[in-house]
Amino acid sequence: MSKEQILAEIRRRLRRPQESLQAAQAALEEALQQKVRGPMPALPPDAQGLRERFLAQAERHASCCERIASIEVAPWAVRRFLDARGLPRRAVIWPSLAELDWQGAGVEVAARAAQDADLVGITACFCAIAETGSLMLCSSPQTPATVSLLPPTHIALVPASRIVATMEDAWQLARAELGMLPRAVNFVSGPSRTGDIEQTIVLGAHGPAHVHLLLIESA
Amino acid sequence: MRVGLLVTCLVDLMRPRIGFAALELLEAAGCTVIVPEQQTCCGQPAWNNGDRANAARLAKKLITEFEGCEYLVAPSGSCADHVRHGYPRILADEPTWQARAQALAAKTHELADFLVRIACLQKMPGNFAGRITYHDSCSGLRGLGVKEQPRALLQKLPALELVEMRGAEECCGFGGTFSVKFGAVSAAIAERKCHQAQALGVDAIVGGDLGCLLNIEGKLRRMGDAQTKVMHFAEVLTAKD
Amino acid sequence: MESRAHRFRRNIAEALANPVLQANLSKAKGKFVEKRAQAIQELDDFEATREAAREIRDRVLANLDLWLETFEANARARGATVLWAKDGNEVSRLVVEIAKRHGVKKVVKSKSMLSEEAGLNQALLAAGIEPVETDLGEYILQINGYEPPSHIIAPVVHKSLDEIADLFARTHRTPRKTEIAALTREARQVLREHFLTAEMGVTGGNFLIAETGSVALVTNEGNGRMVTTLPRVHVAITGIEKIVPTLEDLSTLMRLLPRSATGQSISNYVSVLTGTKNPAELDGPEHLYFILVDNGRTRLLGSDYQPMLRCIRCGACMNHCPVYQTIGGQAYGWVYPGPMGSVLTPLLLGLEKAHDLPYAATLCNQCGVVCPVKIPLPELLRNLREEADKRRLRPWRERLALRAWAWIALRPSLYALASRLLVRYLAWLAEGRGGISVLAAAPGWTMGRNFPAPEGETFRTRYRMRKRGP
Repeated sequence: MSKEQILAEIRRRLRRPQESLQAAQAALEEALQQKVRGPMPALPPDAQGLRERFLAQAERHASCCERIASIEVAPWAVRRFLDARGLPRRAVIWPSLAELDWQGAGVEVAARAAQDADLVGITACFCAIAETGSLMLCSSPQTPATVSLLPPTHIALVPASRIVATMEDAWQLARAELGMLPRAVNFVSGPSRTGDIEQTIVLGAHGPAHVHLLLIESA
Repeated sequence: MRVGLLVTCLVDLMRPRIGFAALELLEAAGCTVIVPEQQTCCGQPAWNNGDRANAARLAKKLITEFEGCEYLVAPSGSCADHVRHGYPRILADEPTWQARAQALAAKTHELADFLVRIACLQKMPGNFAGRITYHDSCSGLRGLGVKEQPRALLQKLPALELVEMRGAEECCGFGGTFSVKFGAVSAAIAERKCHQAQALGVDAIVGGDLGCLLNIEGKLRRMGDAQTKVMHFAEVLTAKD
Repeated sequence: MESRAHRFRRNIAEALANPVLQANLSKAKGKFVEKRAQAIQELDDFEATREAAREIRDRVLANLDLWLETFEANARARGATVLWAKDGNEVSRLVVEIAKRHGVKKVVKSKSMLSEEAGLNQALLAAGIEPVETDLGEYILQINGYEPPSHIIAPVVHKSLDEIADLFARTHRTPRKTEIAALTREARQVLREHFLTAEMGVTGGNFLIAETGSVALVTNEGNGRMVTTLPRVHVAITGIEKIVPTLEDLSTLMRLLPRSATGQSISNYVSVLTGTKNPAELDGPEHLYFILVDNGRTRLLGSDYQPMLRCIRCGACMNHCPVYQTIGGQAYGWVYPGPMGSVLTPLLLGLEKAHDLPYAATLCNQCGVVCPVKIPLPELLRNLREEADKRRLRPWRERLALRAWAWIALRPSLYALASRLLVRYLAWLAEGRGGISVLAAAPGWTMGRNFPAPEGETFRTRYRMRKRGP
């Protein structure tokens, strides 16, 4: 079997004395337990500072950012955005967002995984990262991954209270709230892009060409 | 200060005036300069081409010649870096020799670094006038941290104008025997360096390693540029009109 | 992938003689370099982060077997199947088997250098399965007759817009487009169809996370997400060295990888994928396979070359390499170009098959300085030269010249005489011209530049005369 052969070869090459095997195993367990963090850049200590940092970084990645007062008004903000872009008032949404008053706002939504023809996908996020201006999206039956991927426009609702400082903080939050990692964690930082042809950046490679963030101030 | 001058094989062969300029600068800084007559080459070509045995023999030879001096100074970042970082590694399997290598390494300096940081040379012997740019040679820069030192010295010349070229820290393509083994690639890299310097319209390209300087000069001349001078900073600092 | 590294010198000559390639290379040069320089400024302490990254990679390598077993156990606990492959052939065999088991006719691929090592595309084609490269650069290479990549993160950095415009018009039978955005749109449409119809996605893996049994994928285009979300089956192929212990360690490395690679603070998509789809989920693959590949890597463990296994494939070393900038990536002849390739290719394929590569460097150490995991690349190149010399792989003339020179240099009186004669000879050659344009002893030098004339006498001679007094 290749597995046994490869592992045997690794052990032979490492020439680790038998007696240090236990110590190595213990060190490994400890590393997994301790989850030591590496050096991190200094970030604002307060929520307001993190929010500003997040928005500034997100805009650097060519995401558009808009602040709204509460999650209840999100469907109206979406409608305004769709109208301004000349897009039909239609979108695929995460099932977790189905409770919002989309009908009241006049936006026709389908709560499901995205399909090729969908023009707009609306998601929330598990949390957002101030350091890099990234969204952390976790897959689940209520939050299918395709919604942020297939449609050319991705609208994300970002509760201000869910902005954390670093990726490390995001993992800590995931461990605390989800226990184990979901099938797919996607950190999204702006529209998809490519620089493959003459290192010229073009937005909208395979994923969305537009990412619109609605920062919910009161949540 | 008793300073041993490592002339370097290239200076010995091609540009003795750089050796004499180094001598003049060291003496101007108040050093007593010793030039061990048995010196040949630091052995870097052997080491870089995988001939460890001869690299070790040449290292031991040089250690013996220079360990009696207070300092070893070379007008070459490449050779100084080889003594400083190469020797202890080459002689790693021979503890006594390694200790001697480390002792020598600790007192080995590239010329500009020595003049600025150890000898604190204030007044330059020369009075060069003109517009120059400085090419940072790789070993001096990345091996020994020689960057500001030669610039600090050059800027003490009142009639000298120092302008920075794009990519001053990029390799000129010399690379020792690389320049012969992969001559076409080496010359193509040198061409980029020459273009960057020519774009500034300088009177001279100045550097601290003769290998790079020969490479750059050879390329400039082949490109038909007979005007732009290529000089070691020691020549510039001691040039008198 | 079949290696052309043994004919490196011919590859170089062809690269230098290709004006289109030379124009494209000089256009590309510097863009990555400048962006990286800016991006590392954003880290308060880049050097400390780099040191932490090195430590993480070394920690894993020191007990690689244990970390692999931990990864495997955690991946399996989440429903993934973990397979092991000793070499490229075994990778291809396993992937074809998986494809057949799931009735796969089309495979969409996100960029995977290991699949290039294995020559996976050819194996899939031979088995009647259609591979589709979905990274824009890799796709361009595929439709150009499976041309080899020239860079590990920017595979078509050697190609111009013009060439790509021709290629698209010819392949897609569409009107020729000259705007990069229009070409990108066209590729998006063509590839979208493939994403939706393929039954299997094949990816590499930037990192494997032992703590959670996950694979981390870093892409900008989103193709990595597509091929791991839409098809029923996902196969991730990675080298055994790609493990990192924890998600915290991944976070540290993610501060360095995009910055070193493209000069981005973060890539657009960082996906951490764990296990198979939960039955209630509306999307995601039902089957997840990991193939952990050796292909020569274990040979590096415990050797002087172990630091090479720290490599996170960012490409910074090649972006900063004066030789790479001059000859491009394809000249190196195999999957990995530039300094890391000049180390890795001889180590993975055998030094006898690529012993010119370690010499194709000026040892300027620009690569060593920018490497985010502090691989001492020039030192490893020099080690390989020592090995090539020891194994007598180098031409006898070269060895003889080197030995003869050293023999003389060890004998000061003889050396003094020899150098005096040499100087006279060179001075005679250069007489009246200030330089030598053809030097028979070093034709490599004078092919592209003059050999400056010596001053006259050696330093030694003059110094002695001066000491003796006038």
